[in-house]
Amino acid sequence: MLSDLDSLKTAALAALEAAQDESALEAVRVNFLGKKGSVTALSQGMKDVPLEQKKEVGAKLNEVRTAITEGIDTKKLALQAAQDAKAVEGIDITLPGRPGAGVGALHPLTQIRDLAIRTLRRMGFALAEGPEIETEWHCFDALNTPADHPARNEKDTFYLPDGRLLRTHTSSVQVRTMEAAKALPIRIIAPGAAYRRDEIDATHLSVFNQLEGLYVNQDVSLGDLKGTLEYFFREIFGAGTAVRFRPHFFPFTEPSFEIDVKLEAKGKDARWIEIAGCGMVDPAVFAEINRARGDNLFDPETTTGFAFGLGLDRLAMIMHGITDIRHLIDNDVRFLQQFVA
Amino acid sequence: MQVSLSWLSTHLDLSSYTVPQLSDLLTFAGVEVEGIEERGVATDKVVVAQIQSFEQHPNADKLSVCQVDDGSGTLRQIVCGAKNFKAGDKVPLALPGAVLPGGFTIKEGKLRGVDSMGMMCSGKELGLGEDHSGLLIMAADSPIGTPFNQLNPADVLFDLEITPNRPDLLSHLGLARELAALTGLPLKGERHHASTSTKAKAAGAEQIEIKAAEACPLYTARIIKGVKVGPSPEWLRRRLESIGLRPINSIVDITNYVMMEMGQSLHCFDLDKLNGGIVVRMAAEGEKFLALDGQTYALQTEDLVIADSHRPVAIAGVMGGEETGVTEGTVNVLLESAYFAPSGIRRTSRRLGLSSDSSYRFERGIDPQQVQGGSELATKLILTIAGGTAEDVVQVAGEAPKLVGEVTLDEDRARRLLGTPDMTGDEIHAILEKLGLTKKSASKHESHWGIPSYRLDLQRPVDLVEEVARVIGLDRVPSRQVAVASPVEAADRTYDFAMNLRQSLAARGFFEAQTLRLIADAQLADSLGGGQGVAVKNPLSEDHTTLRPSIVPGLIATAALNIRQGLHRLRFFELGRVFLTLPKGGSREEERLAVLLSGPVSPTSWHGREPQAADIHELVGQIQNLTRTPLEVRPAKEDPANFLLTSELRAGNRVLGWIAQLHPARAREIDARHPVYVAELLLSALRQGSTGPTKFEELPRFPGMTRDVAMEVPADLPHAKVAAFFASQKHPLFVGAEVFDVFADPSGTKIAKDRKSIAWTLTYRSSEKTLETAEVDAAHTAILTALEKSLPAAVRR
Repeated sequence: MLSDLDSLKTAALAALEAAQDESALEAVRVNFLGKKGSVTALSQGMKDVPLEQKKEVGAKLNEVRTAITEGIDTKKLALQAAQDAKAVEGIDITLPGRPGAGVGALHPLTQIRDLAIRTLRRMGFALAEGPEIETEWHCFDALNTPADHPARNEKDTFYLPDGRLLRTHTSSVQVRTMEAAKALPIRIIAPGAAYRRDEIDATHLSVFNQLEGLYVNQDVSLGDLKGTLEYFFREIFGAGTAVRFRPHFFPFTEPSFEIDVKLEAKGKDARWIEIAGCGMVDPAVFAEINRARGDNLFDPETTTGFAFGLGLDRLAMIMHGITDIRHLIDNDVRFLQQFVA
Repeated sequence: MQVSLSWLSTHLDLSSYTVPQLSDLLTFAGVEVEGIEERGVATDKVVVAQIQSFEQHPNADKLSVCQVDDGSGTLRQIVCGAKNFKAGDKVPLALPGAVLPGGFTIKEGKLRGVDSMGMMCSGKELGLGEDHSGLLIMAADSPIGTPFNQLNPADVLFDLEITPNRPDLLSHLGLARELAALTGLPLKGERHHASTSTKAKAAGAEQIEIKAAEACPLYTARIIKGVKVGPSPEWLRRRLESIGLRPINSIVDITNYVMMEMGQSLHCFDLDKLNGGIVVRMAAEGEKFLALDGQTYALQTEDLVIADSHRPVAIAGVMGGEETGVTEGTVNVLLESAYFAPSGIRRTSRRLGLSSDSSYRFERGIDPQQVQGGSELATKLILTIAGGTAEDVVQVAGEAPKLVGEVTLDEDRARRLLGTPDMTGDEIHAILEKLGLTKKSASKHESHWGIPSYRLDLQRPVDLVEEVARVIGLDRVPSRQVAVASPVEAADRTYDFAMNLRQSLAARGFFEAQTLRLIADAQLADSLGGGQGVAVKNPLSEDHTTLRPSIVPGLIATAALNIRQGLHRLRFFELGRVFLTLPKGGSREEERLAVLLSGPVSPTSWHGREPQAADIHELVGQIQNLTRTPLEVRPAKEDPANFLLTSELRAGNRVLGWIAQLHPARAREIDARHPVYVAELLLSALRQGSTGPTKFEELPRFPGMTRDVAMEVPADLPHAKVAAFFASQKHPLFVGAEVFDVFADPSGTKIAKDRKSIAWTLTYRSSEKTLETAEVDAAHTAILTALEKSLPAAVRR
């Protein structure tokens, strides 16, 4: 009996060794440990074993059964491991990834506008908006623009048959906001489209995008304007960026400035690039708003403010080195996919 | 405006400033320098030389070896590549050591083995024009050995942008005055510009009659007889040419010179061609006028003219007449110097599309106090250059308007506006005084200022603050940053919502487009959602006539452009404004989101075949993913010429927008390889479903059970009907149902042609316990029985 068990064990382990897959392994289990298996058969013969040998044979039987069971388990793990290894065999990990739904992108103008908005929101500017079809009063009169100013010409500005016009700048949102304001301070930014009757070419669009800013309160100073816009442009172009203010003229601000930032173009010396216009709100604007409101919320004696405006298309072109503004309206995917965030 | 440095230098000594320093000085005074051009050579090592003889270079076909007289007494040998000269010609010769424009230094050397001791120059090499075709051949009487720059002085030309508030800078004297103020340098030379010393006499009505005193408050005339009109002297021609004006004849050149010198625009009439005295009047309606430019203009009653007793002889301040202008044959002249009101000149100039250096100055405003000074300077120059005798009095009609007054400056307010609390009153006073303002009085916080007659822009206290800001510059102003707690505005919420939509679409493979809001009439047919758009009265071209009533036309154009580049998997969206004409007049602007989709559901890759082309359900699904509420697609009125499958997209009782397939005929026009689907949604409607925080719903505590049902229904039974049936079921255990298969067989083999098989999964759950199979079976049976009663459906059991 004992020698039978030993040879059974040897045979079982050999059969396990030979098994190459799960089903062969199962066959080994059935052959030896199954209901009609050889080990099971021997264990049924235990009743015939003499009493004095029972202990020894029983122990042997257990040892053989355990050895076979463990052998099966070990072999199972080994087979599984081999199978797992095989599953990744021949995979060329250097192949490109699957595209999924593919990548899309936000338009570069959207991205730059969002950057500008996020930056200014950190300084407590809220968004404001207004219609793109405007009255002449909101676009010009209220902004201290003389009645015969060339900008009002039909050569330069789009008009509708009913006398309204397509706003030539987002500054009309300043007027809308002040008209509707309930109290001071006003601290807003207004991104939006504006229109000028320009032929479309590499540097001009008839419809373009601006960002307007306005802060009105008691005792707003030129120092506030300077600090705000220096912060803004350094956040946009980098902390060390040089920013300068050149005196200029706009009908609706006084004093007025144009802002240049010093930027390096690829392979060239850094140079000053005109980027925005700004100034202190002209008291004539406050006076006209008060007149329209019929109150004195914008008391020219105590109220001051600053305003600024910049071209987002131009900002995007400068930021990304885009040489032809028409790329911004063509929406060629070869262009757009360069701006995948 | 072109400004000559050498001309400016006649008024103040700028030699201690470099060109870049001057450029900065102007820039930070508010005068933008748009260009700088250096002309001629500063070095005196370029001299006049005469070519005595020349012969072919022994080693080079294209070169000559010249013997040149440079005035030193010995001939100089120069190798030269030009061909446009002959022996005896005088040319500019750069001697060794000369530095030419562009920093090029001349050295002695050998050219193809022959000594060359300098270089003969073209105009371009000397910074004079673009002519590089050969040597600059000089006048035969040019003295040999003379430095070239004595005959052609070097100059620097600034191209300046003068802002409309500073017409006083539209002359060399005006700029010199400004530079003197900024630098502290003294103005030099005669002060003719402000002189009114000439004897003046009020003109009688028979000589000058002003019938439009508002448009012309001041008119002066001076008669000069016996002039000889001819070419101007060299110095005058050079001055005008340096700033890009073409010399015409001495009289015309003098009037132009005075305008560029002091900003006073003048006009000279041929006295013998005038009939009677000068009448300053408004034109008669339809009156015709032949101007100096050879064009005939039809005038209106709002146009100011200078007339004689018969006809207009000039459009006041804009242009003189062809018939009365000064010509070579003119002997007697009438010199006009006047002040014309800006608004009238501007109106006439714009309406006629006729602009001149003269109108440019009048419409911005000239200094009324210089009218007579201008006349005086011109008279002096005419007498010197063209001879003749001037009548000893100037006839004056009207009087100079007083355009500036006195301004009181509250210095505390100035400091607060500037943000410079430390600025002293003395500092402010010094700045204003150096700009030519006169301090009338000053107290502790206030000062009272007289304004010079040429500073038309200084009318209010804030104008003086601007002057201070301009002079001190922003470097002097400390930066200050304040942040203000701002309440979130509606615009902020809309913006954030829109950005989320954009990012969501970009993350799912869509490219954001931004198309022009002005579209062509022909594109209007591509619009979704109806609406006319808003037509512009004065479009620039037929491609951009109308404010778009829909974004879809722009997206279709975008698809077409990309198809032309070979792209056939198209995923675009745009979020922006559209414009709708309202039936009762007026217009409405609203924000919309448009999406365009065409081609394979996923990009092709190395793995497997090209994925199948998207169908319209793909686009419906993409839109469903954007909204919280379930989407309902409801067939709508077709626009069969342009779209198929046009349907309304709804959520609850809100119309979100529209979806459609671009008509295959239209898709073929843009060479689309796959069907093109478009949708347009109203941003406000999308947002309505997303306002407020999401309300959490308790998770089910007990497992649900599902039962599938397959049924045969008529092929034209819309899914929406079946969905509506399930949505209306109120059985307490029934949670919901989802379609998981739709099968039809157009060949009629597997299922009849007019039938289709659909399969749904129904879910049952109780919030109180785990359901027994029998309970679910009972509920399921009840619902299926109801289903067969309500719909023409045969449930497969």
